[in-house]
Amino acid sequence: MDDRMTQDSKRPVGRTARRWPGSPTPRLREVEPLAPLALASVSKTYRNPMTLRPFEAVRDVSLSLERGEIFGLLGPNGAGKTTTIKLVLGLARPSSGRIRVDGRDPMDPGSRRRLGYLPENPCFYDHLSALEYLELTGDLFGLPGAVARRRAQVLLDRLGLAGHARKPLRKYSKGMTQRLGLAQALLNEPALLILDEPMSGLDPIGRAEVKQLLREERARGTTILMSSHVLAETESICDRVGILNGGRLLDVGPVPDLLASGVREWEIAADGLPDRLLRDLESAGHRVERVGARFIVRVESPQALQGVLRELCEARVFIHGVEARRRTLEEHFVEVLGRDGGTDR
Amino acid sequence: MRRALAITRNTIREVLRERVVLVLAVFGLAMALGAQALAPLALGEGRKIVIDFGLAGSSILATLLAVFLGSTLLHKELERRTVYAVMAKPIRREEFLLGKFLGLWGTSGLLLAGMTGIVIAAVTLFYATTPWGAVPSLGLTVLELGIVTALVTLFSAFTTPALTAFFALAMVTAGHFAEDLRYFAHQGAAPVVKILCDAVYWMLPHLEVFNIRGLVVHDVAVEPARLLFAAAYGLLYMIGVLALAGAVFRRREFR
Repeated sequence: MDDRMTQDSKRPVGRTARRWPGSPTPRLREVEPLAPLALASVSKTYRNPMTLRPFEAVRDVSLSLERGEIFGLLGPNGAGKTTTIKLVLGLARPSSGRIRVDGRDPMDPGSRRRLGYLPENPCFYDHLSALEYLELTGDLFGLPGAVARRRAQVLLDRLGLAGHARKPLRKYSKGMTQRLGLAQALLNEPALLILDEPMSGLDPIGRAEVKQLLREERARGTTILMSSHVLAETESICDRVGILNGGRLLDVGPVPDLLASGVREWEIAADGLPDRLLRDLESAGHRVERVGARFIVRVESPQALQGVLRELCEARVFIHGVEARRRTLEEHFVEVLGRDGGTDR
Repeated sequence: MRRALAITRNTIREVLRERVVLVLAVFGLAMALGAQALAPLALGEGRKIVIDFGLAGSSILATLLAVFLGSTLLHKELERRTVYAVMAKPIRREEFLLGKFLGLWGTSGLLLAGMTGIVIAAVTLFYATTPWGAVPSLGLTVLELGIVTALVTLFSAFTTPALTAFFALAMVTAGHFAEDLRYFAHQGAAPVVKILCDAVYWMLPHLEVFNIRGLVVHDVAVEPARLLFAAAYGLLYMIGVLALAGAVFRRREFR
């Protein structure tokens, strides 16, 4: 885990220690920058207030984010994603383990100065307008009024809300509220952005815009932690993902590495497959599916692919196309969960 | 402090946009009608009755507003999860609670000032003399309201709106009868009961300290020393309750 964290929970590591007069000048060495977010063996146990029965929402999670990456936290409902995020934000305390946000304890308000957060299904003060809410957000971040207003205008424009800036939030649709959530999370130009289900409630165009925005933030150097159920979109945007189930982190790694087994199978689309050849292919264990007048032959190894292609050519079958099917993140996710015995809840 | 004041402004906005100000209109109408109806029936004591009922009524109404608005304000934040986005900013939980307290106290104080203004205006209009004594009475009632609001803030930091309202109203009622509690406890009760009653007596807010309405009705001047003592007591009690509320809220987990 992150060996840059010291035993002293108050003092961020990676800072220069006090030097006493007369002590030798220390040799300058390059200090590795602090991880934007680090969790070391973090567990969270809640107790049922009536029965006092313990419930482990998060179990022994260790994780360290690298600067400027988009990290996807995946998991089924009740996996512990939102609880992990609440622990990082200081909304709940870990039962054991340690969390550092840019080297600080999450209970220290200073840890949230350069942090932006979008809650799951966000809900904001509906007696305010978007502009008023962003001004309030600016005050909470300690931004000068003029700076907050300027940034608010830019963000509202960027997120397509400029025309609704003075409309009461009670009149906002779910998608508009989600966009405002992103605006308030970006107002302080965060170094760490935590997004709980950022695609929720957005239409396809909105999702594409948010993905573009996240890419731009990453290019700016922002570290992004996002939880999501939409695995296809997570796969296309995240640099690394972690899979949570039953509060445990089952798998972590860069998306290409997790899908390293590469090509899962090949699909050969062919027209006019003779019955004899169809029977031969099926008896050889290949799956053949008929889609209209076309046959889709699925083979699982490169050797088998070469053999099948040779046979098809010899039988003068028109080969429409050959496509390699790679394992998707969704398939990897289901496989990891399956190995773990399915969802715990 | 800037963050706490941002929460204060937002709370005041929230309460005022709930159209609570309508209470003022209803109170004003009731005062005007009451003053006119009482004039022929009160055998020359109409002015005293209007001042007495007006000041007591505005105090009770402001207290009830503070209790019922305050008991739901924090709960609503937690239930609708608006608090999550706020607490994810660099704000201390104590600052958030202080902001809520100041906003609620400010709003109920403004409403109280408005109602007292209506009483003064009604008396001036119908009886041709201005009851200036209502002004220091307003100051003390605002302090009393501060204690009530602090208690509501404390209870709302760890319990439900219904229980918050119940506990706060129980404290307010007991606070007005604190002296009586001690008097009865010392009328031949067992020593343990006496000790317990003494402990409760010292813990309860002594709200009668802030009640100078009887003096205002009879146009008796209030000694500055009494005003100063009441102000000091009120502020200290508020600070104590808010410190406790902050400690409770700091430990609270948001699930």
